[in-house]
Amino acid sequence: MLAQAVPIVPLVTPSAKDLLGLLPELILGGGFVVLMLLDLVVPARRRAWLAAFAFLFIAASFGACMWGWFDSGSGRALYFGSIAYDKYAMFINAVLLISAALVVIISPQYLNRRGLHYGEYYALILAATTGMMLLAGAMSLMVIFLAIELLSVSLYILSGFSRHEERSQEAALKYLLLGGFASGFLLFGMALVYGETGHTQLQQIEAALRVSTNVDPLLLAGVILIFIGLAFKASLVPFHTWTPDVYQGAPTSVTTFMSVATKVAAFAVMVRVFTYTFPAVYAHWQAIVFLVAIASMLVGNIAALTQTSVKRMLAYSGIAQAGYILIGVAVSPSEPLGTIGVLYYLAAYAVTNIGAFAVITVMAGRGEDLDSYAGLRGLAYRRPYVAAAMGLFLLSLGGFPPTAGFFGKFFVFAAAIKSGQTSLALWGIATSAVSVFYYLRVALLMYQRPAADQPEYQWSRSTFGGSAVLLATTAGTLVLGILVTLVYSAAAAAQGALLPVAAG
Amino acid sequence: MNVPWLTLVIVIPVGAALLLQVVPRNLTAAVKGVTLLATAAVAVIVGVLVAMLPHTVGSDQPLTFHYEETHAWIPGIGASYHLGLDGLSAWLLALNAGVFLLGALAVSRRSTERLRFYCTLLLLTEAATAGVLLAADLLLFYLFWEGMLVPLYFLLSNYGGEKRGPATLKFILYTVAGSLLMLLSIIWLYVNSGARSFDLETLITSSGPAQAVIVIPGIHVPTFTPQELVFIGFALAFAIKLPLVPFHTWLPDLYEACPPAALVFFAGIVSKLGAYGFIRFGLTLFPEPVNHFKWFLAGVAVLSIIYGALMALSERDIKRIVAYASISHLGFVALGIFSLTQNGVNGSIIQMINHGIIISALFLIVGFIEARTGTRDRRQIAGLERRMPWLYAFFLVATLAALGMPGMNGFVGEFTIMLGAFQLNWLYAVLAGGGVVLACWYMLRLHQGLMHGPPAALVERVRDIRMGEGLLLAPLAALMIFLGVYPRPVGDLARPAVTQYVARATGTPVLPAVYS
Repeated sequence: MLAQAVPIVPLVTPSAKDLLGLLPELILGGGFVVLMLLDLVVPARRRAWLAAFAFLFIAASFGACMWGWFDSGSGRALYFGSIAYDKYAMFINAVLLISAALVVIISPQYLNRRGLHYGEYYALILAATTGMMLLAGAMSLMVIFLAIELLSVSLYILSGFSRHEERSQEAALKYLLLGGFASGFLLFGMALVYGETGHTQLQQIEAALRVSTNVDPLLLAGVILIFIGLAFKASLVPFHTWTPDVYQGAPTSVTTFMSVATKVAAFAVMVRVFTYTFPAVYAHWQAIVFLVAIASMLVGNIAALTQTSVKRMLAYSGIAQAGYILIGVAVSPSEPLGTIGVLYYLAAYAVTNIGAFAVITVMAGRGEDLDSYAGLRGLAYRRPYVAAAMGLFLLSLGGFPPTAGFFGKFFVFAAAIKSGQTSLALWGIATSAVSVFYYLRVALLMYQRPAADQPEYQWSRSTFGGSAVLLATTAGTLVLGILVTLVYSAAAAAQGALLPVAAG
Repeated sequence: MNVPWLTLVIVIPVGAALLLQVVPRNLTAAVKGVTLLATAAVAVIVGVLVAMLPHTVGSDQPLTFHYEETHAWIPGIGASYHLGLDGLSAWLLALNAGVFLLGALAVSRRSTERLRFYCTLLLLTEAATAGVLLAADLLLFYLFWEGMLVPLYFLLSNYGGEKRGPATLKFILYTVAGSLLMLLSIIWLYVNSGARSFDLETLITSSGPAQAVIVIPGIHVPTFTPQELVFIGFALAFAIKLPLVPFHTWLPDLYEACPPAALVFFAGIVSKLGAYGFIRFGLTLFPEPVNHFKWFLAGVAVLSIIYGALMALSERDIKRIVAYASISHLGFVALGIFSLTQNGVNGSIIQMINHGIIISALFLIVGFIEARTGTRDRRQIAGLERRMPWLYAFFLVATLAALGMPGMNGFVGEFTIMLGAFQLNWLYAVLAGGGVVLACWYMLRLHQGLMHGPPAALVERVRDIRMGEGLLLAPLAALMIFLGVYPRPVGDLARPAVTQYVARATGTPVLPAVYS
């Protein structure tokens, strides 16, 4: 199909209502600026204040999200159809903000011990979160790209935050270079899709694809290139190679944030773009998504088996989890349970993975990260509650009920079987059984006494903030595993209100 | 007012577990008191519920639950919080309450190191196993079934013996592999039932599964119908939990590593849940596949009987001997179920209860012996009879019950199962009979070796069981004798349900019961 002539849109300023719909992002973006300025006046010893301010901004933004969720005026596109103001975006925003808040709470103590307590840290976290939230609401290829760059640049800096450590620098460089490539793919794909449909806005692209009868190979190339760009951010196989190195090299608190929030944002936009914008060409992209999902489950789980570093293990586990989440995208777009499953899985993954990473963040001793398996040995005898919480997170990642992880897997598997793709569910089941092995191996280590000739790792003291985060994530893991309806009905509402569908 | 009794059975242990978290951990008396109170309260409630359970006669419904509770749980997908008790689960629930009460009593003062955490896990396990027995919704059932592993995992990894690490891992991996296949089957049933519900009653009556086709690209499974494949998913999960040979290898290792006090409820109830699953879900949801596979499954059960007995003969470690004996006895349970006769299935239910009683007693006794002599090698122990006359008496009762002596409870179940097995095929019955002979051999050899003869060096200074320990064994021994001479209550309650199930599975008029 040829590109139609683009109609000239008269220049109009967006209404104030549009501004109000963007309030969560605006608050956070404002927080970024304020924190940069505050950093100049807050004395170095009082940097924890910055964390408190960051938390306040996040809380305010969360409040705005809640307002948006219940606002009857939501469910419309802002700025001439470039940004969605819908329950779907609010759901994702809430998950992102909660993740960011939890990370901000555990950060000061960890950064202090590592000697990395600089004020930019909090500002960058807010900037990255803003980018992710924009991504969740993005309804135009341009906004998608801008949002991805905003979050990526912030994360490039954050992953190299341990400036004097080679590994951290390496991580940042690797992430930057590969991330640059991925952005290139993404942009190229967008250009092709624009060239084919003549639109950058998802609603119009969807409408254009729906009426077109033949499928141009260039359009498919564009769709696949966009998928590659997003798959990189979600660390799906075979675009995952940066993940273990970056997760290991980056300071643990950053890894905590990155491993969860990036994935949530990437999947949020993937669902909006693929399930709801490209359903007309589903038959063409289905096979690739299908294969990527299987490859991620296999590679992630098998590679995780042989790791001896907790951060790398969790990185590979994250790759595998991304594969499970992708099942929800790979199933037929007409199956709402797929999207609901993705949303539920993302929420479950967020609480569980933040919990697991928070344990190794708050337990990290002075100087170096708690990273090797040996560092966890005997934790249960010194910090029984922390070890029990970690055990619960690992069980949840392994998909045991009654924890969050079980229902995440359950919904995506159910979606796969419901839309007739039993083999996807079978792959998921087989690899889940493998995953139990490495999760439990780590969990059991905590209950082994350290060998006599081996010094015990010097875990740090529990702090109020750390304990609060662990308590919150533990509670979240159990609530999502028992009182399923709370989040399920929210996810179903979010799915039902997703914008391109409403427009169609 | 409508009291949600069944919910209370699940909630009381959970509530007590939460309450324990605010009890100071060095107040061991308070910790133990709360645990005992909770398990005793559950036992009382369950006792009253079972005693007052109406006898259902001549109902043509596949399931007749009592004290039912139904609430929406995940309405979006048709999962409900649906609990119910019937004749099939009633005695198992009683057994459950009993073994956990016993487990709470058996918590020894010497293991006060982190007693509070132990009691918490014990209570959570009780809630999960009770949930498995009460759930009438497949998703809820799966939640409890798999959720049970969480406290068990913490229990084993914290309080287990020397080789607990590998043993726990093996147990969890085996169980999870089976459970995940079951999960797949559950989802498949849900998707294809047409009713879009996880409720057991709805699924049984909806006629969906037979026509639907499983699509697995690239793999053609011509010999199995979809329903049979789905049944295999369930069957594997239950066979691993039961366990049937060849899925049994986790059991001896795990029982060896498991603390004796926890074995009381571990061996007492957890392994019965696999058999319960076969009856409750296998026979009701998959009548045709069970009928189709019954020869094969009954053969596997016979193999378990013989193999378990032979392994029990070859072991020296007394804990492992009892573990293998347990496999052999559970083989009888499975044989009864797959004979698909009223006698057989009824016998299985009786045998499950009896086995729970016997195995709890045996593991308690083994624990007492190990604690006193410091070894589990049967050749290093001899002549306990003179040092421990009380233990000798209890052990004798348990041994006779375990080897199936008439007049003891072990006999009733095995005899009824053998009747059922004969109705299926005489050869299976004869082979299973061989298992009984072997049981006499290894149980008597164990008993004689440990008890009689001149006292071995390790036995010189041991002292008899204390009053408290004797009080743990006394009710079990009393039950062994009582249920041996008067087994009617157990058999009668389950019979209506069993009649229904068997009739559905075989599609033939039910043979008259020879023995109740």
